[in-house]
Amino acid sequence: MHELAIAQAILERAQAASEQSGGGRVTKIGLRIGEISGVVPDALTFGIEALCKGTPLEGLALEIEQPRRKLRCSACATEFVPEGFASACPVCGSLSSDCIAGSELDVTFIELEDPPCA
Amino acid sequence: MRVAVEEKVLSENDKLAAVLRTRFRAHRVFCVNLISSPGSGKTALLERTLEALPQTAKVAVLTGDLQTENDARRLARAGFPVKQITTGDTCHLDADMVGKALAGWELGNIETLFIENVGNLVCPTSYDLGEHAKIVLLSVTEGEDKPLKYPAIFAASELCIINKIDLLPYVPFALDQAIANVLKVHPGMKVVQTSCTKREGLDGWLAWLAERRARALAA
Repeated sequence: MHELAIAQAILERAQAASEQSGGGRVTKIGLRIGEISGVVPDALTFGIEALCKGTPLEGLALEIEQPRRKLRCSACATEFVPEGFASACPVCGSLSSDCIAGSELDVTFIELEDPPCA
Repeated sequence: MRVAVEEKVLSENDKLAAVLRTRFRAHRVFCVNLISSPGSGKTALLERTLEALPQTAKVAVLTGDLQTENDARRLARAGFPVKQITTGDTCHLDADMVGKALAGWELGNIETLFIENVGNLVCPTSYDLGEHAKIVLLSVTEGEDKPLKYPAIFAASELCIINKIDLLPYVPFALDQAIANVLKVHPGMKVVQTSCTKREGLDGWLAWLAERRARALAA
């Protein structure tokens, strides 16, 4: 259960990004959580909600994309989404491949409340 | 207003891990990160490993747990530097904890650093500690489907140690199936079988360690 520590890191990153863009309340955070990132989106959502409760961030929305694991065959460079964890290349049968997607744990964007009109 | 960010959440940890990696390279320290469920035998493996080394060997151990100094006490008997990291309620070690624990140790005096992570097959996978290799342990009292249930750590590790093989006659553990599952998740992965209590199979582990260390330092 490291989602709470990760939730904290996400909020800090969102706060820093907000300050870099001139401040403003963060209303939405975009996240990319790959299927083998080791992070459970539900637990993370729960952690973020818990941390935001009673703060100006309460009610923050999350938009989570969950890329599937994707491999690139080392022999023939075919890119494929493996069935389960059997990782043989569907084209040439090679068992050697590099993971090119699925382990992401990224903040993709933030949305800020529009500043009050001057 | 939408602002693009596109940053890794754990980029702070990755930065600190990169600093550790640079320090390890500068001082020619070979570092491995041992990961398993609680009770698979990480501490026992390290006990046997330290016993097998000559007293002149320059090794050190960092061992992580939520509470107690028990593991550090066990490991310190071999006479090498050992430090316990108690994480409180955190289920993994991070690069900052490792950096702080190394303070006070002269890295130039360490040739091999063993990091025994907190017993957990999930969370330590996400935290780079600057190590050269992750090693995952699986014991025969666990299910042979562990690699399929927790694939990320088996995919990220270079070596899988199947421990407690002395108990094979007493537990319903299909060794062949377990190895097949490891290879399904990580084709070509090196698998070593050990019994730390009966001191079996340790030669394979020590040979891997020596070979991997040579490769790390040559790079």
